[in-house]
Amino acid sequence: MLPDSTRHFGDQNTAQQRFLSLFLRSEREIFRYVAALVPNVADAEDIVQQTALALWERFAAYDPSQPFTPWACRFALNKARQWIERRQRWQALLEGGLAEELALRREELRPELDARLKHLEGCLNKLPEEQRSLVEGYYYHRDGIEKLAESSGRTVAATYKTLQRVRQALQLCIENATKPEGVAP
Amino acid sequence: MKITFPSREFDEVVAAVCHGSVSDEQARALNELLRSDLAARDDYILRLEIHSRLASEPDLFVAVNQATDASSPGRGTPLPQNVLPLQSPRRVRVRQLSWALALAACVALLATGWWGLHGWRRGERKGATSKAVAMLNRVVDAEWESRQAAPRLGAPLEPGWLRLKSGLAQVVFYSGARVVIEGPTDLQLISPSETSCRGGRLTAEVPPQAKGFRVGTPQMSVTDLGTAFGIEVGAQRTELHVFKGSVEFQPEGGATKQNLQEGAGAITESSRATWLITARPEAFASLFDLRAKSTAAEALRYDQWRAAGRKLNQDPSLLIHFNFDQAEPSNWRLHNASLRNDVVPDATIVGCQWIEGRWPDKQALEFGSVSDRARLTVPGEFESLTVAAWIRVQGLDRQFNSLFMCDGFEAGTIHWLIRKDGVLGLTVVGPASGKHQIVASTPVLTLDQFGMWLHLAVVLDGNAKLVVHYVNGQPVGEKPLRISPPFRVGAAELGNWNASGFPDNDPTLIRNFSGAMDEFCLFSRALNAGEIRALYSAGKPQPEPVAAR
Repeated sequence: MLPDSTRHFGDQNTAQQRFLSLFLRSEREIFRYVAALVPNVADAEDIVQQTALALWERFAAYDPSQPFTPWACRFALNKARQWIERRQRWQALLEGGLAEELALRREELRPELDARLKHLEGCLNKLPEEQRSLVEGYYYHRDGIEKLAESSGRTVAATYKTLQRVRQALQLCIENATKPEGVAP
Repeated sequence: MKITFPSREFDEVVAAVCHGSVSDEQARALNELLRSDLAARDDYILRLEIHSRLASEPDLFVAVNQATDASSPGRGTPLPQNVLPLQSPRRVRVRQLSWALALAACVALLATGWWGLHGWRRGERKGATSKAVAMLNRVVDAEWESRQAAPRLGAPLEPGWLRLKSGLAQVVFYSGARVVIEGPTDLQLISPSETSCRGGRLTAEVPPQAKGFRVGTPQMSVTDLGTAFGIEVGAQRTELHVFKGSVEFQPEGGATKQNLQEGAGAITESSRATWLITARPEAFASLFDLRAKSTAAEALRYDQWRAAGRKLNQDPSLLIHFNFDQAEPSNWRLHNASLRNDVVPDATIVGCQWIEGRWPDKQALEFGSVSDRARLTVPGEFESLTVAAWIRVQGLDRQFNSLFMCDGFEAGTIHWLIRKDGVLGLTVVGPASGKHQIVASTPVLTLDQFGMWLHLAVVLDGNAKLVVHYVNGQPVGEKPLRISPPFRVGAAELGNWNASGFPDNDPTLIRNFSGAMDEFCLFSRALNAGEIRALYSAGKPQPEPVAAR
């Protein structure tokens, strides 16, 4: 049933709740879709929020027989495009159709990505305590880089560098944990 | 500035992208690298994925903390945040604020517990679930209230309203109860064993296993006791007619329940007491005609499709047309009905079952086991190709489920497939060994569409350098083609793949399709969107749902 048929019977609230329930279930997936284009966490979250507004405005057009996430990701791609258009260096990064190519390729690679990323939890567990708490502070508590630098006694630049190294260590660990896959496709 | 891959520079620039501190110059250099080096592009996607999972999966940290606590309680200095609630309070607040801001403009919803219930919730896993309570299984001249809300034949129906403006529709509830409605009727689907009608006419046939099936109207509530009955709901009155068995009904307003036997009926009006009548099946004659009418409508569609097929076969670019029509059950050949059948011979069926196709009188070929397939050979080289088929997916059992795959990985050949996650894929093998391009749609096939006839097509346009996927006549994915013609088919299979020399211990090499196919076309040119739509229109099992407005 469509929200507009629900609305017909005067139950706007139900549509809102349905929207929120669908959206919140897909939110992480939409975030990662956006972050594949605009990886900076704060910016990606902004774009996801703008996407949420756009989705709600057009929710009447959503066909519930179709999966919600791909529908939502089309809006997210548009919002990301609009966001990128206003920022020169992101435009430079994603120009020449690279944004669309990355989005599509990520979709193609999804089974492989999922297979690899399921080792992320185990790999996080193997990090030395100091590195793990840095990652946790940055990604989970969303502590600012200055605060993280201060509490670890590093400079800001060195803190960024450490984050980069930790992610590379995680990648290496994930690659090692993933058995070689069969021939593509 | 120029970046190579792999290199320390690449590592640094990707990190700068993640931290939002990339410079213009770095951005341009990275763009150039990612567009030219596919290995760098894939590695970049993986790095960003690690970054975005860390940012979006707080479960990771909770789990790590728990694991740390459990496995090494005395390790290091236990930080205060080692004992974490599911969400850190700060994070919850940030999300509350940002969401309130984002949604306040349109959703007048304050944070009334929603954020506590949802958000990044631990243990939330995607699974195949369905809220459907019934399916639409027959329609005749059905005209629905709005085109958007028009359900497709065979579609699962979730709780909500069905608003039929005119014509007939049969809804089978998952309890087994079968309800036919005649427009104009508004029917609310509530559960597999309950429905409500606020206006219109319906008949219900309730088998023993669905006993207890309930129909509510503004004037009465009817509980079935194993029967067939009819209900007509007007503005102020409900008429109930029992054709078979018995029902229990209760007028609104608290009157006592009453039993009605076969041949009896009752009328309740808001302002009057209930009075009993004799059931009049003839008043519902048009609803009983549904089966006969829908059979006639199907026969007509079948004839129209055959006429369209005869015309289609005149197209000189049509290399193959397997219509799966009028085949004997013992037949192990798929007849190529195209004019070019002198060049492309019939296919050979290995295994498979002949089953009912899009229409009751038409056959389709069912693929089920690992060995089921149809083998064919297409000689020649082509600048472009179009492949189209009517299929019914039973399940996506394999990582890659073959629709049409050329043997092995020969240069210029194609593999047309459905991936496990519902993505349509066309793999185009390049001239150099090991090089291929996978052109994938977004995930378009969902559980809801399993069991329904779908028209799939893919256009490989060597001239425009483009690949386009279609579902039911609509484009669902388009991508530039990076591999140049000529393209070939050679030895190929429907519904399976002959790996032809690749190592046989790899599970991804088993690619049999699970489902049925009832038409297959291969063209030696790129069909345009209009032509694909026409193929779909000519072959769709039922006319499109019609909307009144």
